[in-house]
Amino acid sequence: MEYIILLLAGILFATAIYNLLQKQLLRIIIGTVLISHGAHLVILTMGKLKRGQPPILDESVADYTDPLPQALILTSIVISFGITSLLLVLSYRTAKENNTDNMEEMRGESNE
Amino acid sequence: MIFAVLLPLVLALFIPFLSKFKEKVHTGIFVVLIPLGIFLYFVSFVGNDFSPIHHTYNWIPSLNINFDFYLDGLSLLFVLLISGIGTLVVFYSIYYLHTSENLGHFYVYLLMFMSAMLGVVLSDNVFVLYTFWELTSISSFLLIGYWHHRERSRYGAQKSMLITVFGGLSMLGGLVLLSVITGTTSIRSMIDQVDVIASSGYLPLILVFILLGAFTKSAQFPFHIWLPDAMEAPTPVSAYLHSATMVKAGIYLVARFSPIFVDYEWFFITVSLVGIITLVWASYMAVRQTDLKGILAFSTVSQLGMIMAMLGFGTEAAVFAAVFHILNHATFKGSLFMIAGIIDHETGTRDIRKLGGLLTFMPMSATLALFGTFSMAGVPLPFLNGFYSKELFFGATLLNENSSSIASFLSAAIPYLAVFGSIFTFVYSMYFFFGVFTGPKKLHLLTKKPHEAPIGMLISPVVLVLGVIIIGLFPNIVNGSLLNHAAQAVRNSTVQYTNIHYWHGFEPQFIMSLIVVGVGLILFLTLKKWSNIYSIIPGKLNLNKLYDKIINKTDDYSARITNSYMTGSLKLYMSIILAAIILFSFTVMITTGGFNNITFDDLAEVEIVDISIVLIMVLAAICTIFINNKLSLIIITGIVGFGISLLFVVFRAPDLALTQLVVETVSMALFLLAYYHLPELRKREETVGSSFTNLFLAIGTGALITMVGIAAHSSDWFKTISDYFVETSYTLGGGNNIVNVILVDMRGLDTLFEITVLGIAALAIYGLIKVRKDKEAE
Amino acid sequence: MSNLAVLPIIIPMLAGIIVAFTNKNVKITRFLSKLFSIISLLVAAYVTYEVFLNGSIILETGDWAAPYGIILVADQLSILLILTTNIIAATAAFYAPHSLNIKQETHYYYTFFFLLITGVSGAFLTGDLFNLFVFFEVLLMASYALIVLGGDKVQLRESVKYVLINLFSSMLFVTAVALLYGVVGTVNMAHIAERVAEVEQKGILTTIGVILFFVFGTKAALFPLYYWLPRPYIVPNPVVSALFGALLTKVGIYSILRVFSLIFVYKMDITHESFIWIAGLSMLFGVVGALSTNNIKLIIAYNIIPAIGFIIMGIGIFNQDSLSGSIYYLIHDMIIKSALFLLVGVIAYVAGTSDLRKMKGLIHHYPVIGWLLFISAFVLAGIPPFSGFIGKLLLLRGALSADEVVITIIALLSSLLILYSVMKIFIRGFWGEKDDNKTYTKKVSAGFIMPIVCLLAISVFLGLGAQFVYPAVDGIAEYLLDPQIYIDSVLKE
Repeated sequence: MEYIILLLAGILFATAIYNLLQKQLLRIIIGTVLISHGAHLVILTMGKLKRGQPPILDESVADYTDPLPQALILTSIVISFGITSLLLVLSYRTAKENNTDNMEEMRGESNE
Repeated sequence: MIFAVLLPLVLALFIPFLSKFKEKVHTGIFVVLIPLGIFLYFVSFVGNDFSPIHHTYNWIPSLNINFDFYLDGLSLLFVLLISGIGTLVVFYSIYYLHTSENLGHFYVYLLMFMSAMLGVVLSDNVFVLYTFWELTSISSFLLIGYWHHRERSRYGAQKSMLITVFGGLSMLGGLVLLSVITGTTSIRSMIDQVDVIASSGYLPLILVFILLGAFTKSAQFPFHIWLPDAMEAPTPVSAYLHSATMVKAGIYLVARFSPIFVDYEWFFITVSLVGIITLVWASYMAVRQTDLKGILAFSTVSQLGMIMAMLGFGTEAAVFAAVFHILNHATFKGSLFMIAGIIDHETGTRDIRKLGGLLTFMPMSATLALFGTFSMAGVPLPFLNGFYSKELFFGATLLNENSSSIASFLSAAIPYLAVFGSIFTFVYSMYFFFGVFTGPKKLHLLTKKPHEAPIGMLISPVVLVLGVIIIGLFPNIVNGSLLNHAAQAVRNSTVQYTNIHYWHGFEPQFIMSLIVVGVGLILFLTLKKWSNIYSIIPGKLNLNKLYDKIINKTDDYSARITNSYMTGSLKLYMSIILAAIILFSFTVMITTGGFNNITFDDLAEVEIVDISIVLIMVLAAICTIFINNKLSLIIITGIVGFGISLLFVVFRAPDLALTQLVVETVSMALFLLAYYHLPELRKREETVGSSFTNLFLAIGTGALITMVGIAAHSSDWFKTISDYFVETSYTLGGGNNIVNVILVDMRGLDTLFEITVLGIAALAIYGLIKVRKDKEAE
Repeated sequence: MSNLAVLPIIIPMLAGIIVAFTNKNVKITRFLSKLFSIISLLVAAYVTYEVFLNGSIILETGDWAAPYGIILVADQLSILLILTTNIIAATAAFYAPHSLNIKQETHYYYTFFFLLITGVSGAFLTGDLFNLFVFFEVLLMASYALIVLGGDKVQLRESVKYVLINLFSSMLFVTAVALLYGVVGTVNMAHIAERVAEVEQKGILTTIGVILFFVFGTKAALFPLYYWLPRPYIVPNPVVSALFGALLTKVGIYSILRVFSLIFVYKMDITHESFIWIAGLSMLFGVVGALSTNNIKLIIAYNIIPAIGFIIMGIGIFNQDSLSGSIYYLIHDMIIKSALFLLVGVIAYVAGTSDLRKMKGLIHHYPVIGWLLFISAFVLAGIPPFSGFIGKLLLLRGALSADEVVITIIALLSSLLILYSVMKIFIRGFWGEKDDNKTYTKKVSAGFIMPIVCLLAISVFLGLGAQFVYPAVDGIAEYLLDPQIYIDSVLKE
């Protein structure tokens, strides 16, 4: 199962990168969303999957899933959310100011 | 000794205050006392019984960088030149520079240079030497650019800085290498370890590094091109830095380090060859000049080449002749520069084509110039010091015997080249004197009516010419007291050279002198006929143009290179970064066998539910690439996000599942809010090549993550630290939900700053929106 | 006692929050900012004093023992960098009011500024790899906010690129931390180091190390990852550029130094050997960039890259001398880069343009600025007796004692070109005739110049007074060469 999830993570990374390499801002942002999903899956898998119960203490349970990656993912999800929201507003403002959402038209002049 | 070295630098700080009174008293009058004091201090060391003295003052002892001042014969010679000529030059400048000039700056730079130059010749510590060395370059740069409103001054200043700093850095490389090999920073200790250096295998590299420093500073071919342009500096500066002292720093360096190299054949070959080429080339070029200072500049270059060549010969006679000529050159060339300055000052031009017949107007200057130029030409008269050292030089060229074929070929050729070069020396010396002071008067070409210089301006050249004559008449007064000590320091052994004679029979060197004078005379008298040849050769071989080309091309190519990849295209930036990551990581993974221990043992079982979630997510992810409708794109992305939270459920991470669900929902809402403001998606307009690159980079990155993930998962060397969290979550953390306890307690710091991140994001978004509102309000 | 370690993080954080509330009143905000930056500097100085006197301060946050909780490690390296950061922060706080307009100031500039310092300090202090990621995010988020401050068209455009590149590398960072966790089962750096050492960095570990290197290398702007850097760094206000140039890339290079001296030191022929090549290419491409432009801000921005090259060169060579050289150069470069960015800010302000082709003869009007630039050029190029020289000398010594001749030559050559690139501004912009077509009316107050003078004075001190600094740096290099000291101090085994 782990390897399947890692493969999924790989595919998420691949599609994310493909989107990141596009010109339109919205696609690029979608790319960043996908890449963070991929990263989170990698974290989760690195704690091994399905080894025991959810990490909530219970006297009847002996084995728990590795709780640390889950804590790390939680932190990461919140941070990614923060960045994505900023990025959304930023790109909307940028598209408005520069009158385009095409990154290739936002190269700027050399040595300006 | 440290006082003597640093005194000018420290006093320079007070100059700006002095220049406030410059309307009443010329700043130079105060300044002249400084070199004079230093000269008097050092002159007390001169004598037959001189023995080296050594003072140490700590600076950075932990790096072995200390002010180790070591005064031996060679240093003494230079110190006297620096302070002696310095005194005369400052004195001369009092009359040369008007008080309306920015005298404060001038004297600050000049004193800075004086300190630096004294430091160069007195430091035994290589890094202190280097420090002072660069300071001479900097002060020279500032002095050349003194009249920086002139385009040529700026050009000359930049050129001299680039070339000399280039050499300085190269020398630094050599010095570091020497200090690494010998484990010391003292030149004397390095010389004691010649064997260690020779056996290190780095000798050739050290030689190249050090010589580049010396050749650039001493304006040796092909680095001499900065010196003629340095003539943009005020004439006192040219006389001082660019003829008597700074340009001899390279000579000093070679002399100082020659005990290390003297047994190394390539030292002889390179130094002699470069020296002799410089001698020939520059004396030939000097004949082509029309600017008086231009003639003197090339003449300086050629004389430096001659001294350099002698150091390359390395024999006792040659070294002695070299130090003798260092002294002599300073006297006659210094006086000639001052005369050139006087002529410029009193006639308003330095162009020899506009000058002539000045003898009647400036008899005093003419007399001085006569001695200077004839001494420079090496005319065999007993009261000209230039003749003695020139003849010693000719003698030295004959003494070389070498084993290897290149060296012996060179040895055989050197006497001829020396004579050949000296002929032109003779020609331009005559040209300088007779061109200016005799012949038809061309007063209509002058802006001023020429007259003799004020007496104060003549004092300095008079002193120097007296030096020429006295050394010429009584060469042995400087011999035992000064030159022998200097030669000994260079040779690092005793030098048995006691007497200099005017006449020692019809030896080859005398015949060489005669040839020079004879052929030189013929060439000079027929100068007009040859002028065509002088203007044709060297024709295209123009090193200045090469320099200009290099500088322009540097700007040009760097712009071209940089603009070719700094296009501002995010896609290009990303592609390069990704390509680097993929290539490098895969290479490392393969070479280190990172993928070797893959196992399929320790894996969780696969269930239908899991697989179907994964499949849906894969489909959705791939769809994001192909969808051209923004609403669908956002929804499809949402599917991936919700898929993730389902996976979290499956993999027993309830907190994650909930958070992901909330975040995903809010994100979707945000996306949909922004949805209205973003334009509709367009079809992906890509070329096949670009799609292919994208695909390669995408798959490469994905594959990298998957493979490294699998390899990482397969390793089972360590247990994770998580058991501790399970054990202590309740007992120490007081909570049953382990993930929560980790977040708020064990890794509370993470959470605190995660909130900070959110806070900043919120403020930033607020700011962005506010800016828009403000703008709209306007 | 050990709580001292958290002060360099907490003080700027509190300061950031407090000034957010006084935001409406600019005067009070300015005063508080200066006050807090001075307090923070004094505290940093005190902690530095403590660390050098009594050894590293290890703080187990929440009293959770290492390696389970998050550890803050104030060792000599991190505290020295924090002290430098605080010096720069203080000068920036005094410079900012002269450089920013009221609108920018009231858009929470000071809050973002202090939180940036928080993030930077945290990144230097933390002993936990995941926590390092969090602090990276703090400082990056603050930098995102600072870069768009003012909201110009150009600023927005460049900041989108900046955010995207950094976002990508952040995600790669988390992934790399996760992969590392998958192998060694821990995120505490000392613990990771211990475990990596135990298996001699076998298998996949080197690859993970390389991925981490690329993450940090992107932040540090190394070849070939630096493309994103120059332009975003010149669009914001000079004071922001100074903070970016002095701090952000340096956090990246610090992380490389830390991780590749503590953790991944067992396959040096692959990792560190490549660093030397990367160093050479960074130097060359960096100076070529600096020579390519007539925009004075861009000249300075490009000069970040060769400096980073010098530092990574020392890490690559990895001996006592080269590491001290890297650390010395790191501190030197933080100081001089901020001085230069502030300085070109002033120049662009008085000249009304940052295009060198439109300037000439400025020295007739602004001699002080001219001479400050003149000295800065030599400091930057590593001409003695200034600070750059000591670092460069150590690096060259390290390189040549390791028989690395090629990189030595490249380093020497780029020093020359660095000097040329900055000297160009002096020769073309300051020298020359008075420009009669232009009137220079803008006055430069002492408060605008003083921060630059202070920074330059420190640079000069770092050179002339190397005797007071170098032994400490040398001690740090020795300490870095033996990772066990760090591991033992954190894990207390």
